[in-house]
Parts: sequence; C-alpha cells; structure tokens
Amino acid sequence: MQIRDLPYPDPGDPDVRSGPRFLLWLGRNQLRGQLKSMGWGLLHQCSIAGLPPAVGLAVQAVVDRSGSRLAWSGGLIAVLGVLISLGDTMLHRTAVTNWITAAARVQQLLARKTAELGSALTRRVAAGEVVAVSTGDVEKIGWFVEALSRFAAAAAALVLICAGLLLYLPSLGILVTVSVPLLALAVLPLLPRATRRADLQREKAGKATELASDTVAGLRVLRGIGGEELFLGRYRRASQEVREAAVHSARMWSLISAVQVLLPGLLLISLVVYGAMLARDGRIGVGQLVTVYSAATLLLFPLRHFEEIAMAYSFSRPSAQRAVRVLSLHRAARPSTVDAAPTGDLYDPVTGLMAPAGLFTAVVCGNPDEAGRLAERLGGHAQPGAGAGPDSAEGAAEREAPSVLLGGVPLDELPLDSARTAVLVQDKEPVLLSGTLGELLDVPSSGRVTAEDALTAAQCGDVLDSLAQASLATDGDPMTTRITERGRSLSGGQRQRLALARSLVTDPEALVLDEPTSAVDSHTEARVAAGIKTLRQGRTTVAFASSPLLLDLADRVVLVHRGTVVAVGGHRDLLRTEPRYRAVVTRETDEEIAAPAPGCATATIEEIEERA
Amino acid sequence: MIGVAVPAYDPAAPESATTLPVGTPTTVRSYVRELLRRHRGRFAVLVVFNAVAVIASIVGPYLLGGLVEDLSDGVRDLHLERTAGVFALALVVQTVFTRLMRLRSAMLGEEMLADLREDFLVRSVGLPPGVLERAGTGDLLSRITTDIDRLANAMREAVPQLAIGVVWAGLLLAALTVTAPPLALSVLLALPVLIIGCRWYFKRAPSAYRSEAAGYAAVAAMLAETVDAGRTVEAHRLGARRVALSDTRIAQWTAWERYTLFLRSVLFPVINVTYVTILGAVLMLGGWFVIEGWLTVGQLTTGALLAQMMVDPIGLILRWYDELQVAQVSLARLVGVRDIEPDAGDAEVVPDGRDVRADEVRFGYRAGLDVLHRVSLDVAPGTRLALVGPSGAGKSTLGRLLAGIYAPRTGEVTLGGAELSRMKAEDVRTHVALVNQEHHVFVGSLRDNLLLARTGAEDAELWASLAAVDADGWARNLAEGLDTEVGSGGLALTPAQAQQIALARLVLADPHTLVLDEATSLLDPRAARHLERSLARVLDGRTVVAIAHRLHTAHDADVIAVVEGGRISELGGHDELVAADGAYAALWRSWHG
Repeated sequence: MQIRDLPYPDPGDPDVRSGPRFLLWLGRNQLRGQLKSMGWGLLHQCSIAGLPPAVGLAVQAVVDRSGSRLAWSGGLIAVLGVLISLGDTMLHRTAVTNWITAAARVQQLLARKTAELGSALTRRVAAGEVVAVSTGDVEKIGWFVEALSRFAAAAAALVLICAGLLLYLPSLGILVTVSVPLLALAVLPLLPRATRRADLQREKAGKATELASDTVAGLRVLRGIGGEELFLGRYRRASQEVREAAVHSARMWSLISAVQVLLPGLLLISLVVYGAMLARDGRIGVGQLVTVYSAATLLLFPLRHFEEIAMAYSFSRPSAQRAVRVLSLHRAARPSTVDAAPTGDLYDPVTGLMAPAGLFTAVVCGNPDEAGRLAERLGGHAQPGAGAGPDSAEGAAEREAPSVLLGGVPLDELPLDSARTAVLVQDKEPVLLSGTLGELLDVPSSGRVTAEDALTAAQCGDVLDSLAQASLATDGDPMTTRITERGRSLSGGQRQRLALARSLVTDPEALVLDEPTSAVDSHTEARVAAGIKTLRQGRTTVAFASSPLLLDLADRVVLVHRGTVVAVGGHRDLLRTEPRYRAVVTRETDEEIAAPAPGCATATIEEIEERA
Repeated sequence: MIGVAVPAYDPAAPESATTLPVGTPTTVRSYVRELLRRHRGRFAVLVVFNAVAVIASIVGPYLLGGLVEDLSDGVRDLHLERTAGVFALALVVQTVFTRLMRLRSAMLGEEMLADLREDFLVRSVGLPPGVLERAGTGDLLSRITTDIDRLANAMREAVPQLAIGVVWAGLLLAALTVTAPPLALSVLLALPVLIIGCRWYFKRAPSAYRSEAAGYAAVAAMLAETVDAGRTVEAHRLGARRVALSDTRIAQWTAWERYTLFLRSVLFPVINVTYVTILGAVLMLGGWFVIEGWLTVGQLTTGALLAQMMVDPIGLILRWYDELQVAQVSLARLVGVRDIEPDAGDAEVVPDGRDVRADEVRFGYRAGLDVLHRVSLDVAPGTRLALVGPSGAGKSTLGRLLAGIYAPRTGEVTLGGAELSRMKAEDVRTHVALVNQEHHVFVGSLRDNLLLARTGAEDAELWASLAAVDADGWARNLAEGLDTEVGSGGLALTPAQAQQIALARLVLADPHTLVLDEATSLLDPRAARHLERSLARVLDGRTVVAIAHRLHTAHDADVIAVVEGGRISELGGHDELVAADGAYAALWRSWHG
C-alpha cells in the first residue's frame, strides 16, 4: 500500500480481541511494508558500519605512506556515502509509509464504527474516549508500527557488526560484543519511571489546557462581571505545576542521557587502553585500532532503537487497548421481519398518541424529559434510556414496550434505515454539522422540497444575510459560506431555524419535531409555524411545543399527561375546556391558579396540576 | 527521485475571515527578543555547561590521536595509565555536564513555555469586551489549545536544543581548526551542498507541515463531530456520507504527508552527503597532507574522529530548526493578541446618576452598513424596558450599546451623563451588566464560580446570593457544599442550575442596571418559568433592559420598544401599544389567543 493510494477502499475487519492482537493484525496487514522497511534499514545500518573500516584503511594507508591505498579508501567512503544516503532515505520513506497507512486504517475503522453506532455510541462509551483514540492513540499505535521495522533492522545490523568485528579482530571484537547487550539493556530499568513521570506531566498539561480553554470559553462572562484575577491566579498555579512536573520528568531523562554517555565511554576507554597495548606489541595494526574505536562510537545509533521500541510498545499497548474497546462495540440490532415503506397514521400504543396521516399534530407535554422520550419513541428503534443499562429493569421494559406503528406497520420491525427514512425525529438539540450551508442542506431527501423553499419556510432570511457577510468569497453567496463548528457564530434561534430547514428538506413521510421554535422570538415564531404548516401540507407532522403561536396553527392538539393522552382538540377549545392544558400553555392562567395560594411563589407545575 | 507536486487542497487555509489579528514578523521578533532577554542568565549557563560537555567529549579523539602518533613512531612507553586516567576524568566531566545540560535545557524551555502561555492568558483576559463580542471566543480557544500545544515542543526542546547544536558544531569546528588548520578547509568543501539543499527545503517545509498538521487535525475533528452529532447523523441517515467525508479528509491529509515525505526525501540525502563529504575530505586531504609531511598522522586521526562527531550537531540543528519554523506560525497567532489595542478607558469618567440614554445613535459592524439608524431612547432609573421585534432587527445590538460593550459610530450612549464608551470596562461593569444565553459554569469549585462576581466575599454572602435565586436548596444538598467541583469534568449542572449560578453572580456583583439578552430562551419553557421567579427577585429595584423573546416578558415591562429594521417603531406601555393597534398589538393577539 502506497500513501497515494489511501484511503483504503475497505479498511478490513480488525481483530479486536485484545490490544496486542490488534497491533498484530495491523502488522500482518502491512507485512510487505515492514519487510521493505527492514531491508532498507539493514542496508543503512550496514553501510554506516562500513565507515569505520574505511577510516581505518585510510589511516593505515597514511601510516604506511601509501597514496594509492588512500585513494582506494576514499573511493570506498564515496560508495558508502551513496549507500548510506539511499538506505537512510528509503528506510525513512518506507517506515513513514507504514506509519501513515496504519494510522489511516485505524482512522477509517473509527469513522465506520462511529457511523454504524450512531445515536447508540454516546451512551455506551464517553464521546471523549472515542475522540481521544482518534487524536492521541492513533499516533502512538503508528509510532510502534513505524519503529518496529527500524528496530528489527538495527538489531540485525548489530548482530552482523559484532560478528564482523569478531572475525576482523577477535581480540577487541570480543570486548565490544560482550558490552553490547549491557549497553542495550542498561537504561531499560529507568524507562518505566521516566515514562510514568512523562505521563504525569502530560496529565497536568492537559488539566492546565482545560483550565485555560475553560477560562477563555467563559471570557465574556468574566469580562462582563469580573473575577479575571481569580482565574488568572488559578491558571498560573496550574501552569507552574506543569512546569514542575516537566522538570521532574526531565531529571529522569537527563539521568538516562548521562548513562548513555557514561557506559559507552567506559567501553571506549577499555578499547583504547587494551588496543594500544595490543598495537604496541604489534599484534594489531594502528589502523585496526582506529577502526574498532570508530565502530564502537557508531554502535550507539542502532543501540538507541532498543530504548525506542521499548517505549513505543509501552505507550502503544494501552492505546491499542483503548482502540479495541471502541472498535469492538456493536449496536444491538433487532431482527427486522418486514421491509416496506409504510404510509398512514402514526400511532403510539403506549401513550395512545395518534397523529393522523397528512395532518399537523401538536403535542403538549408538561414534562420536557417525557416529551423527549416520547419523540424518540415515535421514530422507532429507540435506545434504552441513558443511565439505564441494557440489563436494568427500566431498559428491558423500554425494549419490551410495543412498537410505534406507521400505517399499521411496527417501526421496530423495520430495518433501521427504512424506519429512519419513514419517520424523521428532530430532537431538542439538533447538531449543525460543519460545512457550507449548501452541504448542510444536502441530506438524503425525497427531493420534493428545495433548499430555498425550506429556508423560506423556516424564516432563515436573516441567517442568509449574516452568512453572506461572513463569506470569504466576494460574491457573498450564503450557500457556499462555511458555518463555523456547531454554528457557534449564529444565535440560538438562528441555529434552530437552520436545523428546521434541514429537516424540512428531508421531507419524510412523518416528521417529528421536539420544541422546534423554543429559541425563536415571538415575531418570527408565528411565521415559522405557518411556514411548517404550508410546506408540510398533506404530510404527517408532529410538533412537541408549548407556545400558543405554534399550537394555534396545528390541525389538532394532543395533551399528554403522565404518560397518556388525556385530551385532544383545537388549541382554542382546549384553552377553554381543559385547565391542565391552560396550566402548561399560558402563563396568565398559571399565575391565576397560583394566586389563591399566597407565599407559594415557587410552587412547581406538578403542584399546580394537582390542584387543577 | 520523482517530484511530488504541492497538493491542491490546503487544510490550513482560513475558512472564514479571521477575527483576531495575527502577529506581524516585527511583533514576533520583538516578542522573541524580549523572551530571550528575560532568560539570558539561564541561556548563558546552558551554553557554558554545553561547552564543557563538548570539550570533554573531544578529549577521547585527542588521546587516540596521540596514541596513534606514538604507535606509528614506534614509541614503546605509551604512558597508558596516564591516558586512561585523563580519559576517565574527561568521561566523568562529560557525563556530569551532559546531565546538567539536559536538565538546564529542560528547565529553561519549561520556563519560557510557562511565560508564554501565562502571558497569552493575561492578554486574552484583558481584551476589550467589544472585541470578544464581535470575534467570539472560538478563535481564542483554538489559539490557547492548538497553538500552545504546537509551541510546547518548540519551546521545550527546539530553542534549547538549537542553542546546544550551534555551540556543539561551533566547538567541533574550532577543535578541528586548532588540531589541524588545513582540515577545516574540508568542511568548506561540503558547505555548498548543505546550503543549497537546506534553502530549497526550508522554503517549502514550514507551510507544508502546517497544512499537514491541519489536515490531520481535520481527520480527528471530523470524527469528533460524528460522535458528537450521533443522533442527528442517525436521524438524517448521514452515516454513509460521514464515512465518505472522513475518507476524503484522510485523502487530503495523506496527500500532504506524501508531499512532506518528498521534501524529506531530498533533505535526507543532502545531510548524508554533507556528512560523508566532510569525513571523506578530512581523510583524503589530511592523508595527502600527512604523506607530504605537512600534518602528523595523530592530527589526522583526531581530525577524522572529530569530523565523525559532526553528525550529531548537524542532525540536531536541522531537526529543531524544522520544528521552530512550524512553531513560528503558532507564535504569530499567540503574539497577535498583543496587537489588539487594550481598553482605552478613562478612569476619570464617572457617572452621576443612573439614567441610561441613547442619543441619535448610529452603529454598524461594517463600514457603510449601519444596523441601527438614529436610535434615541431614555431609560429612567428603576424602569423595565422590553425590546421586542423580529430577528435581525437590531435588538441585541442596541442592548450591547446600552451595556457599553460597543461604542456608537455617531451619537452617544450615556449613563448618568457619562459616556459609556469612554469609561473603563472594569468601571462600566460595576454599574451595568449584560446577561445573555451564555451561562458558563467554570471548571472549579462552586465557590470560585460565585467569587468571581465579588472577590473576597464571605461564604455567608455566597449562600445568601444562592438563596436569593432559589438555588440554596440543591446547593445545600451537595456533599461538599461550596467546595463541590462543577463544570466540565466535575458535577454536571442542569441548564437551569447553571442559569441560577449566573443569576447569583448578578446578586453578588450588584450592578444597578441590567441588560438581559434572551437570558432564558434556551431553557425549556417549564424551567424558564421557575427561573423567571428567581430572576424577578434579582431584578427588583434595578433598571432593566430586556431583549424579549416571549411576549409575557414584554407584558410585564413598564415600557416596550418595538425594534424594526434598526429603528424604534413603537414605544409605550403594554396597554398603550395594544390600544394603538400596531405591530405589537397584532402579535399580542395571536399569542394570547
């Protein structure tokens, strides 16, 4: 796999039984890449190891006053130079390719998994955990994958070099060969402590960053009310803690570098003294002494790979573990028994809520949480509530409840995609996905409603104006203007109307809206409600709402109280005849009811409802 | 090597007009100079320790050179004990000073980094409220997270390591020159390749790495968004599209990886060739000189070993120079905040009285495009004024002018006769507070979340403020009371509780005038009603300008101003306006039924 061929057409089916197995699976899938990288690494290390003999030859040639042999060794160095360059560059290219392809594969797997899990994901694992895998863990996994072949090449090269030295000069070679394992392993005992300290430092740095971004996020509050010094002081303390942790960690790392200077230095001293004695006695040449000395200094480079691989593995194993935890999640799928595109009345047997086909039904529900749950039920395939695990009684009860019917077809029995096509539930907090306005409105749809119509119905004129102003292009086309992440640059009301426009474009058989205009001002709300009604003419629409401006326009209004439908009718009729309805919908009557109970200003709606 | 073209799509290109300035090269340079000056003592110590370590490391090659000299001359008495002793001593010195140098460099880097991030927050916290309102906090947020992270490596490692590398290379070169002056020539031989190669590379690398990093961040951001929007993605059947989009992001990111890999595929051979050229040239030139009798064989050996040692500092300099180039952009973004004019308020401007007046005010966010046209308004102390009108009519803008956040383009907004825009932000907020939808709960204790409004308040005052907004009930039930950690990562508060905390802060700050901008509009209606009772108590006795969402807010107000198209079209009490049968009356009828 070359980088230019990424992304993978199919990232494959990973082995998610454990972290190490996942790493193994990744490695197996790029075996060729690993072997290539190892081969180039071997060339690189061996040609570097060729330099000392060349240096030794040159010095010996000079000692012997031989110009021709000096020239020959020069030629040898030139050839080695070319090989080193080639080996180094190709090693880097192949190893980085392994890194990138592994990282891309894991990112692709994560993207597919999150798309598959959809709404089920956030309840199963914290959203932050998935994001942490994607931002931090993928890099660590990639690091290990990349370092692996370099390590293998270095280890093989070390064996070759030691063997070569033993053959070339057994007397000094044995000294070097015996010391190599010691040098390779000496700092390993220090590494766990060093990495622990480094982890602590990262943790503190993360906290400080969180504190800083939290302070910045609330900066308008701070500037408006005060307390800047209080928060600066807090941040300064956190920042200094990071510094102290970093210095604490640096103490360990500096100790490791000191050991890395000391031990090879001791080897060099022994080599010089012992070698000089051998040379004095004429048992080895002067050039040979220089060769061995030079080889010993160059040995340090492959030795570094031993530490790197140990660290890379200790970092990447927990990372792989976390990745596996996310990748092994599955959505509990109900077996689908029918596949059809049902039409007709939307009916919930649990509450008795009936939304007749082709009408605009408004639902009033005193308890907003209950409204949210009911809205979700109306879409079918509802996930057990948050907090209620799949095994808890509540979760089981929710799963066993009879399914919502659309035209008599139980939605839970349909495949998920068919159910979502038939009924679109827009929850209370719809997310505006980043992209241009055009991209935002480009959703799977019936194709009958144009973006312009939907934007007009949702009264998005002012949003288009402000987008046009923020546009980078000179033409100021709002459709090609990017909406900042989650629509942060827009007001709550503007975001809500854009989300509504997106749902209107989709034009599903049945559209369920949960408080679609709660953040919209009264002026606009009446027009939005009229827009929905006109655009959804002849289609089934359900809106959970409490604003009279919207309720007044609905074909029929349903009052749900404590989990069952208690009244059905027109807004004005219900206002007159149904005190519980009045209590929820209008403020005046609320106060009138509360008035007879002096000193009870904080009475909750339940209490008011009880009395009514 | 086949070249790789620069990828067409650049993820680092700005997607919307940047709202906060980015530092100019001059600002960045002067900031770096200031930073270096502040730490020059530590720099000097670092350079000295580094020099000692490098000089000690040169002892080995010297000793070996001497031995080779003696051996080739056939000297029998080599004084090996003395050589070993000197070598061992040098090794101990090198070990100790390497450790000290590493430690000092980390300490220096950490101190500079801490200075930098604290400086940045100090600056951010001092930004004029108008700048914040206009720019939003998103840009600042990305600067304090992404840019600080990117700079961390540069400050922590690049600056100290570059200093070390330069000193190291210089000393080795000096040692080579002292040992055998003619051998220094061989270094010159290798320089042209290095210079040409590096110029080519560094011209392209920084921006390419920036794009690469932005591309990678986009891959992760894409995933984060899919996770965050799980319900929306599922409801709209966007799963397949998200996967396709994520693959596109991966293709965009890896295109940049491929390009930077190509850049390094040019740089790596250049470095290797430089290094081998130096080594080869030292040996060939030196060998020739020895044969000619201009150099001794000992000098040659030492020279060759020193040349071999050059590989470390050269690698170090290139590696960290690279990092520094990338970091420069982040530094410019951080330092850019310093370019914003701080609040130029005049502490001498003090209001006399509590009258809020707008006089012939015109205001626009862009030149030539006014949002408000000649608005005049008089709010007597203790009055409740409701601003109603369609979205985009200018209600919020007018509210921000009355709260002193923006200065009018022409005309003036005064409080007790004093022009708000000429007062210091810190003074304005003791009189007027703006309450918006943003009821941020800070990470930290409940106490800190309240204390910010009145630093130095006693716990009893804090409890009283909570009681005033009906929040003492749940707050008293918290296991750790005021010490309970709230905010993200701590105890999650409901939106209604967060709003109560915002109101309790107002009780503590005690400004006499409040501007409420849709303060309860994001809450569900039932919670909103409960809160409005708390709010009513907070508002008691204060001048209130309420940007009204719901008509009942307007109904309760003393005066209602209908804002349409940047002008006040109707002004009067509720009954008055209903009787006048204008726009307000029509709306009221449809609301009230």
